[in-house]
Amino acid sequence: MAFLIRTIDFTAAGREIIRDRVLEQASLTVGRAAECEIHLPDLAVEQRHLRIDLAANGMLAVEALGTLGFGLDGRVVTEGTIDPRTGGEIALGAARLAVARETDGSTSITIRQVAADEGKGDALRGFALASALPSKRAMSWVFAAAILLLLLAIPVASHLLRTPVKNDPKGEAPGQVVLDAAWSSGELSLKHHSLENNCESCHVAAFESVQDETCISCHEDTANHAAMPRQAKGIPPPTPGDAIQWKIGAALGKEGPLGCVSCHSEHEGPVRQKPAAQAFCADCHNTLDTRLTDTALGNAHDFGKEHPQFRPVFYASFGAAKPVRAVLDVKPVERSGLKFPHDVHMDARGGAARMAVSLTQYGAPLECKDCHSLTPDKIGFKEVKMEDSCEGCHSLVSGRTAIGGFRKLRHGDVKDLAEDLAQISSGPRPALAPRRDRPGQIGSGSPYRADFGRPVRAYIGLSNALSPGGVCTECHLPTRSKGQADLMPVNLPDRFLTSGFFNHEAHKKEECTDCHAADTSKLASDLLIPDLKSCRDCHLGATAVKTRKIVPSECAMCHAYHVPAGQWSPKGKAPHYSPAPTPAPKPGPAKTTVAAVIERAKS
Amino acid sequence: MASAAKNRFKQDEKRRDSDHVSFLRHRGFRWLWVALALSAASIAGYLLIDQQPRPNGGTWYGYTLGTIGVGLILWLSLLGVRKRRINPGAWSLKAWTSAHVYLGLSLVVVGTLHTGFQIGWNVHTLAYVLMLLVIATGIYGVIVYAALPASLSANRKEMTRAQMLDALTAIDRQLESAAQPLARGDADLVIAALEQDTFHGGAWGRLTGSYPRCATRRALRRIDPASDAAARVHALLTKRAEQLAQIRGALRIRALLEVWLFIHVPLTIALIAALTAHVISVFYYW
Repeated sequence: MAFLIRTIDFTAAGREIIRDRVLEQASLTVGRAAECEIHLPDLAVEQRHLRIDLAANGMLAVEALGTLGFGLDGRVVTEGTIDPRTGGEIALGAARLAVARETDGSTSITIRQVAADEGKGDALRGFALASALPSKRAMSWVFAAAILLLLLAIPVASHLLRTPVKNDPKGEAPGQVVLDAAWSSGELSLKHHSLENNCESCHVAAFESVQDETCISCHEDTANHAAMPRQAKGIPPPTPGDAIQWKIGAALGKEGPLGCVSCHSEHEGPVRQKPAAQAFCADCHNTLDTRLTDTALGNAHDFGKEHPQFRPVFYASFGAAKPVRAVLDVKPVERSGLKFPHDVHMDARGGAARMAVSLTQYGAPLECKDCHSLTPDKIGFKEVKMEDSCEGCHSLVSGRTAIGGFRKLRHGDVKDLAEDLAQISSGPRPALAPRRDRPGQIGSGSPYRADFGRPVRAYIGLSNALSPGGVCTECHLPTRSKGQADLMPVNLPDRFLTSGFFNHEAHKKEECTDCHAADTSKLASDLLIPDLKSCRDCHLGATAVKTRKIVPSECAMCHAYHVPAGQWSPKGKAPHYSPAPTPAPKPGPAKTTVAAVIERAKS
Repeated sequence: MASAAKNRFKQDEKRRDSDHVSFLRHRGFRWLWVALALSAASIAGYLLIDQQPRPNGGTWYGYTLGTIGVGLILWLSLLGVRKRRINPGAWSLKAWTSAHVYLGLSLVVVGTLHTGFQIGWNVHTLAYVLMLLVIATGIYGVIVYAALPASLSANRKEMTRAQMLDALTAIDRQLESAAQPLARGDADLVIAALEQDTFHGGAWGRLTGSYPRCATRRALRRIDPASDAAARVHALLTKRAEQLAQIRGALRIRALLEVWLFIHVPLTIALIAALTAHVISVFYYW
């Protein structure tokens, strides 16, 4: 039962001084008081701070004598036990009392002073996660700098420093701006997909909306819906919210609601543009007459509810230079210059039908398609040619040729006809019966008279042909020009409905006569273009309920925005708009085509 | 006079009440209701307003949501500035924190509607994803702040962090003297245990509590407690391992408590950078 007290001090030079003493007792006190067995001259220590008792089982009981505790293995306690075999450490002020069992069975208490732990605060920092991770500030700087450099600075710099090149709609030239693909908010539409990596071909200038000029540099054929000033006048005033938006947009180079991009929004994925909804048209056309007071267009907002009567283009007077549009609610009288009773030709039991049956060319009563054939756009019909469609019955054969064929009068020009008729009259004729010519017998049928007599017969022939009952007036109307017999010029428009399109292909299940009252039309002056009401048998507005018969019809079913007469097709090859048919100009002012109307409408 | 005293009492009572109300319950969930109203209004607008040709960030409604979103993000990130400024006034830090949490959550709605559900590999979606990550880490932060402090306190067992380190130091001093009789090999094991940094293991070790290279545990495994001296060292090493386990428990809870901020804050700054790039690029290529 002994304590070995070992005190370790340091000299000023740092040398260790070890003093040992042995206390043969089972209990000892520790404190600042001089009578304590272990005397610690430290103001932080109580006069009699604690007592150490050696228990019977070899354990050491440590008990604070005052109210202050002591450190036992790092923990502040007021009492505790130490197993001398594993040892323990008591902390009192700056002193550390290490308790251990010596080999001889005694308990040693080693006292040493420790320097104040100045690094303790730093050590505590080790508990924070910050000591094991890079600093938040450094990470922030790195992330922010990387994003700003790669996704902002590099694209902007390469955009500003590039040399702009000519537009490249096929996307053959590589894009010049680096890393701007990361700016794309979505894939481009199918038509523009080749421009995917060439942002600057549309986004030409910085902080400027895509300009119409840029669009038109490729889409040069696209026509304006109407003249710009009229469109601007025709659109309804924007709501206050829209007005603010457009004002802000204008500051950033947007070209207003009439600019290309206000309707054609891009980066919506690799799809095709959809036709505009009915509301898009109705916004302006609903009350167009209140803003465009001089417009000839009727208001329209829904085909089933409000749509003006059709106004087909036709020739209202004989030989007119230009066709006119029908006036609303007046039955149009067409002055084509032709006689053509449709009913006679279409009567399945009439003479025309019997004639057609007898001809190998037809072999059956006449049908519409025998004369009228669709143009490739399936909207209009090809011009009816006399030689192809009429001549099978209305023959112009004037005799046999020497080689066994037929000679025909030429069709199309009265001058040609006059020449052909003159030839008939002057040509040698075979004698009706073999006979001998007698002297002085210069009869009316002889070649002499024809060759040297007064040229009466040719003129009479021509005059007969051109007069009522003559071969020409079977179909044509006789007239006189410059004092001479002539025929009315034939005026037929290539297309009757010029501000919309009617796809005949889509209606091929119907009979022609379901819409065109040709089988009962007795006169060529009947304009056989169906009216609005007949369309509404099936076609009602966009809001109509689809049934077997009723077809809900949006504006875009018949009207296209940029080319009113062209057809927008949701599929098929480019362009979206089949251009309006513009046949080659024909000679003569009377043959003015519908293209002229479109031209006028455009200007 | 009486009414002044009564007012004073009311004010003090209010303060005392508010001192013990969590920022989540601040003023009867005031900011929760504000955030819910904002989200509901955004959703209603999105559903009711017909955007042509389809909803996206470039319609007027999209710009409106985007402006609200960027304003909120910038204001929410100012919490870091606000919390460092101790100033009196109606705008208490608790109110800020409450608004920060709830308005931050409403950004999920505002931001998502602003995208118009158009997602791609671009700077715009980068900003959106960063925003979602920041919000997700924020949600994690709120949850751990509510759940973990209790376990942190349980783990301490009435010891401060300094005492935990002191205890380890005390054990180390004893270990050093107890290990004197040991042979070279065992002495080296003890030296390795004593020399290893208390906080060894890195962030991963702290988060998972797994320390495969712990020198103390290695020494425990290898020292055979056959002799008296070795048995004593072994007993001390066991004590050391227990003390280390407590410290590491504290480290783990602390790391779980703090780790979200190491994502939340840098990603917020990255988000502000991405937002800058997003806004500038949109108008640059308008």
